[in-house]
Amino acid sequence: MWGLMIMAIAVIRFPGTNNENDVMRALGTIPGAEAQLVPSRLGSAALKEADGVIIPGGFSYGDYIRAGAVAAAGEIMEGVKELANDGRPVLGICNGFQILTECGLLPGALLPNTSARFVCRWVYLRVSEQTTAFTEGLEDAVLKMPVAHADGNYYCTENDLTVLNLHGLVPLRYSDENGETVPAVNPNGSIDNIAAVINEAGNVMGMMPHPERASRPSLGSADGLAILENFVRSTKC
Amino acid sequence: MRLIHEGKVKRVFSDPESDDRLIVEFTDAITAGDGERREIIEGKGAVACETTALLFGYLEDKGLATHFIRQLDETRLVCRKVSIFPIEAVCRNLAAGSFARRYGLEDGRPLSRPLVEFFLKSDELHDPLITADAIIRLGLATREELDFIRRVTLAVNYYLGTLLSQVGLRLVDFKLEFGRTDDGDILIADEISGDTMRVWDESGGSLDKDVFRKDKGNVLEVYNLLLEKLKETRPKEVPVRGEVVRVLVMPKEGIKNPPGEVARKALLRLGFEEVEEVRAGKVFRLCLRRAVSPEMLGRIEEMNTRLLANPIAEATYVGFDDNGNCGDSFSGDE
Repeated sequence: MWGLMIMAIAVIRFPGTNNENDVMRALGTIPGAEAQLVPSRLGSAALKEADGVIIPGGFSYGDYIRAGAVAAAGEIMEGVKELANDGRPVLGICNGFQILTECGLLPGALLPNTSARFVCRWVYLRVSEQTTAFTEGLEDAVLKMPVAHADGNYYCTENDLTVLNLHGLVPLRYSDENGETVPAVNPNGSIDNIAAVINEAGNVMGMMPHPERASRPSLGSADGLAILENFVRSTKC
Repeated sequence: MRLIHEGKVKRVFSDPESDDRLIVEFTDAITAGDGERREIIEGKGAVACETTALLFGYLEDKGLATHFIRQLDETRLVCRKVSIFPIEAVCRNLAAGSFARRYGLEDGRPLSRPLVEFFLKSDELHDPLITADAIIRLGLATREELDFIRRVTLAVNYYLGTLLSQVGLRLVDFKLEFGRTDDGDILIADEISGDTMRVWDESGGSLDKDVFRKDKGNVLEVYNLLLEKLKETRPKEVPVRGEVVRVLVMPKEGIKNPPGEVARKALLRLGFEEVEEVRAGKVFRLCLRRAVSPEMLGRIEEMNTRLLANPIAEATYVGFDDNGNCGDSFSGDE
């Protein structure tokens, strides 16, 4: 119907977000994916029609205070929290992951890489054997995706770590080519090689690697596309 | 009503209606020289009580926290129950009294900035001057509590001094006492009246206890004059002062600190081989348009947990800039 805004997936752009076009383009290759770019200044009202939210990577608000801290305090995040509480899928990539931990939708924090360097390279990821909405069909697989971050060192309390492991809330861990999650391949010092975390309800995931930058063979890998496809499918549930 | 404590000029009773409250009675006694001289002046209790009620009410309106709840009758106040710190905070703008004697100064010599001194409450020892470090080492208050007490004293100096200047009076110095509630909130306690401050008029005449100390006239008359003058002030016109607060954010013990580690290595490269460890944190300097109070500390705590620090990995330390007011460039302590 004319005039009805169709917005299945909201891709949020904060000042300093810089991966939104990559995400939009990757979503564009997925049949049935309706995505719209939403500048954060439009606030939570702009998310009313959304079936799911992706918070892409970048350097929102220049990473001032801490990566993701200022964006997490933005009014639009009230809308993201509402959607998350309604069970809609929310995916935070890189800076988006940082924002999700900062706003409390995901446990833990992303601290400066132990190397004190910005790390930008391809990594292998071991998918957990437990099925999650985001990794369905990828159980136990080894995926190749790039990371690019200065603050990707996932840290959480012992208690949180116990809960994460107990409930299978760590869908991705840094691994070698063969899927071995050895310390040597950990790019940032993350506790237990954690590369992604999912909430207990199973509908909010944050990940440091970039699936949108591994969404077609010409980019070097298409392994990330399946995660975005799963995300799109869960918006239709 | 049970008498809990009898001071030189006040009596403190339990409040039959509430365990959290006390009733403070102002007697007609007036003393000087740590109680060596003592007289009864009819009406003195009432004027001190009304002056205190008026000034505590004014400070509360500006956002400072006092133990004052309401005036019960001519000589009695209903107050929050607090445990009093055994120290007095004295704030001075001009040299006078014991300060002038101690350093051989003429009364009225201005100080470059308001000075806060602490005295130990002890009649036997004649309320000796005590240093902040001694207060802390003796366990009379923690450093955080003392910083807060200092900063509140300076704020009271601003609010009282500005109010008095509206009617041509000069706040020379004053004494405050503080108490801690069961929740750990620190409140201004005791009294503020001609008994506890020095106030001069434009010609240098005293409107305070110096009239009694130095036998310069009728002390009841000047206490009443001070109260009248206070009633002529326009408290609403005194603006709330901006307070400068520093929040230090540091990585918690045991949390790796790559920026500090990089700095350490660079310092070693530059030849500073004595550098064993560097931890890098952040400092936020906030100007808050709000009076210094336990509520303000609570708000800062909230700012810290909600934005300025990540409580999972970072610890925060709140400090007040000595004499730092909003608009001053950041210079740290003097």
